[in-house]
Amino acid sequence: MNIYNIKSSQLAEFFEQLIKSGKIVIAPVLKKSGKVFFEAVHSYDQVSTDYIQTGFSAKSVVFPKVEELFSFKKDDEGIEITNNLHTIPETVVWGLRPCDASAFNYLTEFFLKENPDTYFAVRKEKTTLIAISCAKADDACFCTSVELNPGSTSGSDMLLTTMGESVYVEVITEKGKAAVETAASLFTPGEEKSKEEFLAKVTSVFSMDEVKERIKTAYDSAEWKHASMGCFGCGACAFACPTCTCFDIQDEGTQDSGKRLRCWDACGFGLFTKHTSGHNPRTNQTERRRQRLMHKFKYSVENLGIVSCVGCGRCIRNCPAHLNIFENILSVTK
Amino acid sequence: MTSLQNKVTELFENGTINLLIGFKEAIHKLPVPCFIDNVSQVEQLIFTPSCKGNLSVYLLKTEVKQAKKVGILANVATLRAIVQLVSENQLGDIEKTVITLDAKGELVVFATMDELEAYVQANFPDLSEEDKKLLDQLNAMSRTERWQYWTEQFTACVKCYACRAVCPMCYCSSCTVEGNQPQWIKVSSETTGNLEWHTMRAMHLGGRCINCGECGRICPVGIPVHMLTVKMNQDIEAEFGAKTGFSVKNGYALNSFKPGDKEQFIK
Repeated sequence: MNIYNIKSSQLAEFFEQLIKSGKIVIAPVLKKSGKVFFEAVHSYDQVSTDYIQTGFSAKSVVFPKVEELFSFKKDDEGIEITNNLHTIPETVVWGLRPCDASAFNYLTEFFLKENPDTYFAVRKEKTTLIAISCAKADDACFCTSVELNPGSTSGSDMLLTTMGESVYVEVITEKGKAAVETAASLFTPGEEKSKEEFLAKVTSVFSMDEVKERIKTAYDSAEWKHASMGCFGCGACAFACPTCTCFDIQDEGTQDSGKRLRCWDACGFGLFTKHTSGHNPRTNQTERRRQRLMHKFKYSVENLGIVSCVGCGRCIRNCPAHLNIFENILSVTK
Repeated sequence: MTSLQNKVTELFENGTINLLIGFKEAIHKLPVPCFIDNVSQVEQLIFTPSCKGNLSVYLLKTEVKQAKKVGILANVATLRAIVQLVSENQLGDIEKTVITLDAKGELVVFATMDELEAYVQANFPDLSEEDKKLLDQLNAMSRTERWQYWTEQFTACVKCYACRAVCPMCYCSSCTVEGNQPQWIKVSSETTGNLEWHTMRAMHLGGRCINCGECGRICPVGIPVHMLTVKMNQDIEAEFGAKTGFSVKNGYALNSFKPGDKEQFIK
C-alpha cells in the first residue's frame, strides 16, 4: 500500500482530472427527493459530500439492474447475434463507502469463482473504486459487527480519509496508482498513520464468530416468524443491497429480433421460487426472509467462505416496515 | 403498563382476540410491525404518531386470516383502508377489533363496523400540505411537462414493487405484472415498461386508493408515486361524488352504477 496526502481543497481538482481522463465517473448526487444516489456526473459541483450512505449501492456499475447479454436478428440470410461487451466503458466510482467497496470482494467471488461471468469480468476490470471513509454513521450502520469498519480498505482501489485540511490517501491497487497518476502533482507521499479519530464510531452489535456458529442451527428457530411476519415481500432490501446478486433472465422481442436480458430479482418475491406447475416451495414470507438472512450469514460462508453482509444498513433504511436485519439475526441466534 | 397495553391484555384475556397486529420499537428506534399472539408479549406494544405504517395490509395475509379473531392498531389511513376493504368484501370472516387513538390521544376501540365508519366520516383526513403542494405543481404543468416529469421519475424505478407490497388495495393474488401468457408488461426495468406498470397500477386503484400515501413514502427511489392515485381520486370524486374509504356500502365508483348516472350506455 502507498500513502499520499492531498489538500482537501484540491479534491475537486483531482476529481476534474479523473473526468478529463475520459472515464465515466459515477458519484453520489443529491436528488430532488432528498435522497442521494450514484449517477454519472461531469463536474465536482454535482457531487454530494454530505451523506451517510447512498440510497442504492454501487453494485449496478458491475451488475446493472438490466444487463443486455446479447441481441439477435433473424432474416433470410441467417441469424446474427451481437453483444455490447466492447461498449462497456472505463468507469470510476467515487465516494462509495468502505462497506460497499468490500462488497465488491463478494461480488467478484460470486460472479467469477466457478463459472466466470464475462459481463461482470469486463465491467469489474474496467472499474476503479475510490472509496471515502465514513466520518458519520447512523443507527442503521453496523459494519463493525461484520468485521469491517468505517475506514476499511478492503475492496477499494483507493481510500480517502479527510483529516481536517488534508486528505489521507491510501492507494491499495494498481488501479489506485493509475488514479493518482491522473493528477500526480496534487499528491505528496505520506506516512502511515491512524485514521481512528476521523472515523465515525460504529458500535458492534454482535460477534460475527458467535453468529456464524449459532446460525448453523437456526433454521428451525421459532423466532423467524416474529422476525419476518412484518415483511411485505418487496425487493427494496435486495435491490439496494450491495451483495444481493439474484437475477432473472428475460427474453424480449419477437421471433425475428430481440434481446436477452439479465434483470435484478429478489428472494423476497413470492414469484421467485414459484414453479411452472404452480407449486411454490417457499410458501410464505417467513421462509423467504429466512432464506435472505441465512444466505448472507450461512450459505455464502459455506459456498464462498465470505459473510455476504457488509453492514451498510440499506435494507434497514429502505424497508417499508423498518425491519432490522441485525436485530433479526440476534433474535434467531440467541 | 400503558392504557393500550392494558386494553390489549384485557382483549386477550376475555377471548376477544387471539392475534394483535401492532407496533413495537426496533433496535434502531423506529416502529416496526409486530404480531402478538399471547399476553406475555403485550409489553412491547407502542402506538405513537411515528407509527405511520398502514397495518391493514397484514389483514390480507393467510397467517392472519387463519387467526380469525384479530385486533389491529389503526391510524386514520388504516381505518379508511379497513372501510374500503370491507366494502370490497376482502376481510371475509375475520372478527376484527380495531383500536385507534383519537385526536386527544385517547384509546378508541370500535365495537362494530358502523361505529368505525362513523368515526372515519367524522375524522376524514385532508391531503397533507406536502401533497397539496405537489398536486398544485403537477396541475400547473402542461401535459408535455407532466409527461416529462413522470417519465423522469419512472426511469429511476427499479421495479422492487414495494409500492404494491405496502398497498392494502393491491390485494390481487396474482398481479398483472407477473403474468407472462401474455406478458402485458416487461419484467425488465426500463422507462416505457416502468410507465406501463405504474399506469396500470394507478388505473386499478382509481376510486379505490385510500390516499394513505404509503407507496410514495416508502419508495426506495423517492418517487411520489401516490400522486397518481391522489389525482385520480380527485377526478373520480368530482365526477361521481364518491370518496374512497368512506363508507362500507359504497363499493367503488368504477365498479357500480346508479339509475341516475350521466352515462347512457348502462340504461
